Amino acid sequence: MARRNSAFYTLALFVALLLHSRTMAQVVVNDFSLRNVDGKMVSLSDHKDAKGYIVVFTCNHCPFAKLYPPRLNNLYKKFAKAGVPLIAISSTDTVVYEGDSYAEMVKKAKKEHFLFPYLYDNTQAVARQFAAQKTPHAFVLWKEGGKWVVKYCGAIDDNGAEPAEVKHRYVQDAVEQLLAGKPVTVPETRSIGCQINLRSK
Amino acid sequence: MKLKILLIAVMCGAVMSASAQYNTLVIPDTLSGTTFNLNIKDTFKQFLPGNQTITGGINGNFWGPTLFFNQGDTVHMNVQSYLNDSTTLHWHGMHLPAVMDGGPHQIIPPGTLWQPYWKVTNQAATFWYHPHLHTMTEEQMSKGIGGFIIVRDAAEAALALPRTYGVDDIPLALTSRKFDASNAIDYTSSHYGDTPVVNGTLHPQVTLPKQYVRLRILNAEMERAYNLGFSDNRTFYIIGNDGGLLNAPVSATRIKLAVGERAEIMVNLGSDAIGSSFDLVAYNAGQEFGFGGGEPNTTGTFGSLLNNRNFNVLHIVVGATTTGAITAVPSALVSNTYLTAADATVSRTLLVTDGNPGPGNPPFNFDHTVYNFNTINKTVHLNDVEKWTVINSNVFGHTFHIHDIEFKILSRSSHPVGAYESGWKDTYYLQVNDTVTFVAKFDDYADPIHPFMYHCHFAPHEDGGMMQQFVVVDATGVDNTGKAAGGFSLYPNPAGSRLFVSLEDPAMQVYYVTITNAAGRTMCMLPRPQLAGGIDISAYAPGTYFLQLTDELTKKTTVKQFVKQ
Ligand SMILES: [Cu+2]
Repeated sequence: MARRNSAFYTLALFVALLLHSRTMAQVVVNDFSLRNVDGKMVSLSDHKDAKGYIVVFTCNHCPFAKLYPPRLNNLYKKFAKAGVPLIAISSTDTVVYEGDSYAEMVKKAKKEHFLFPYLYDNTQAVARQFAAQKTPHAFVLWKEGGKWVVKYCGAIDDNGAEPAEVKHRYVQDAVEQLLAGKPVTVPETRSIGCQINLRSK
Repeated sequence: MKLKILLIAVMCGAVMSASAQYNTLVIPDTLSGTTFNLNIKDTFKQFLPGNQTITGGINGNFWGPTLFFNQGDTVHMNVQSYLNDSTTLHWHGMHLPAVMDGGPHQIIPPGTLWQPYWKVTNQAATFWYHPHLHTMTEEQMSKGIGGFIIVRDAAEAALALPRTYGVDDIPLALTSRKFDASNAIDYTSSHYGDTPVVNGTLHPQVTLPKQYVRLRILNAEMERAYNLGFSDNRTFYIIGNDGGLLNAPVSATRIKLAVGERAEIMVNLGSDAIGSSFDLVAYNAGQEFGFGGGEPNTTGTFGSLLNNRNFNVLHIVVGATTTGAITAVPSALVSNTYLTAADATVSRTLLVTDGNPGPGNPPFNFDHTVYNFNTINKTVHLNDVEKWTVINSNVFGHTFHIHDIEFKILSRSSHPVGAYESGWKDTYYLQVNDTVTFVAKFDDYADPIHPFMYHCHFAPHEDGGMMQQFVVVDATGVDNTGKAAGGFSLYPNPAGSRLFVSLEDPAMQVYYVTITNAAGRTMCMLPRPQLAGGIDISAYAPGTYFLQLTDELTKKTTVKQFVKQ
């Protein structure tokens, strides 16, 4: 009986359309070039033989994202040599949130022995392109006809704080299905974690 | 569509039978003294089997500590936000300077320390604190950011009332939440939850001693109202409203609490068998139109599995009597001197307007004026007693809340003012076709630039713009805004662990200090800071910083640079 302002309706409609288009049609993402914690620039095109990528938007500060680095290392170990490397990206607006600054990312990657690149999306352009919502938010990309097609997006698995209780390993399952030449049975889940706040352009 | 509804009904039945598995009611931790450290953060909580739920916490993971204040003390708050979004923290019901109030203007950016302080002048009662960032209130409150404030005073201490916190004196923050398939809190598809949540506990149970107990009940919802009673319809005694104890207890079997309202009640468990149990129930079925959560819908923006039905809020098990048990309700409580209509020298009328369903229609507001951050809607003169009449001949119910003061309700058109709402109030249920008049004195705190709010406390309504601003001005004061800003210098510069401010005129009063770093991040917000001991900058990274100082007299701001070594 009460009402929301119309801006909300517009937003809800936009999100609904976005999700709809995602499930109805192929979503293709463009390559990007971001600085890694080792100082070097990283792009999807760096690995000429890559069949696909696991791209995970994450960050330093989010308590839910903090639960996942060991699992990201495991995914990297499991799939990099099969041609599906993992790349982590931090897109936090570091103008307002200092704990996710590049210097702090470097420290975290060292301290927690990240095996994978941890890239600094300082303009948030890559988060916008992927429509990444939360940290962590995972995307499985697959190379088809020279394009990067999103085959899975959402949560890494279904239990953050209790890895032993995980029932569905969404990212792992998607990559295994893709490597076996099968369609991804769960192409989308809801990502859970801290909101990636996009600063107004 | 029909099948979907049927499925939901079946699932709902499953939820209800599963609710026999109770969880022990969380009693929030306590903080007391005169310095309070509150860390606001993104966090998570295991609400349901499976994945954790993302929440917001203050020193914890859902619903913060209960703050104990003693009347007469000056309380100092260290509010540090670790959220990755801005927020505010409002001290609901507290009488304090506007600049300390935590309304939509005291925005705390990520990583910032905000240090308000004030002298506690409120009477002993149950208050609360919660975020108040315009358009973000529902989201941040839904995440669980908030907590109780309990004020103690001598008059209350002299009475034989239950007051052993967590034993015979129990705070109950009543809310509900809707969880999606991934166990995330869903505050967008409906403003009503599907599962009651009390102090952050689903399906709560508490063991209370076989004697009189005191429940401090807060409606901490987004929009739902509660028509509370006990499952055996036992009589209870209302002893306090939002802002203080009543003159005398009022017996009742039901009490309605709309969003933001509090009541303190006493209930007798002295005749119950140890081990027996009963429930605190929301008798929400069949309420009048406009009662939040009375809608018939189970789905949609105003749908909920709890709508228009009676549901259990808290399972109460009777335990052993404690030593020093309270065995009677006092016949009299405190002697309040209430304001009357004759005391008022200013009368105002507010009309609830707009909010008609449909695209393109303006949201609910007052007097066809949607909230504007830069508009002062009313100017009140310091020490005036004012009579406000709020008229709702509009399409739904609301709760009206005003900052700064506690008021006395004089009249209601929907029904005579009940004894149950005869005490000091700061929030009330404004029914459909209701005209409510209250009287209040706007004393102690004048500030020509910093506004207080009055608004509907339904979170979606205030976020939508059903909120306006007033300033309290000291008409006897001299206008000093034409004078030059007060001069000051910073030392040592470069500074180590403390930065000192040297005022050119030692008598100069400082209104506000903010420190930002070279990247523009706000480090701290210090309303009316006590600068004699310097400002602690020991945690700051080496670099250049800017200190903005606004002086009290002219309200002019001067910026000075300093270097942290
Ligand atoms: Cu309202």
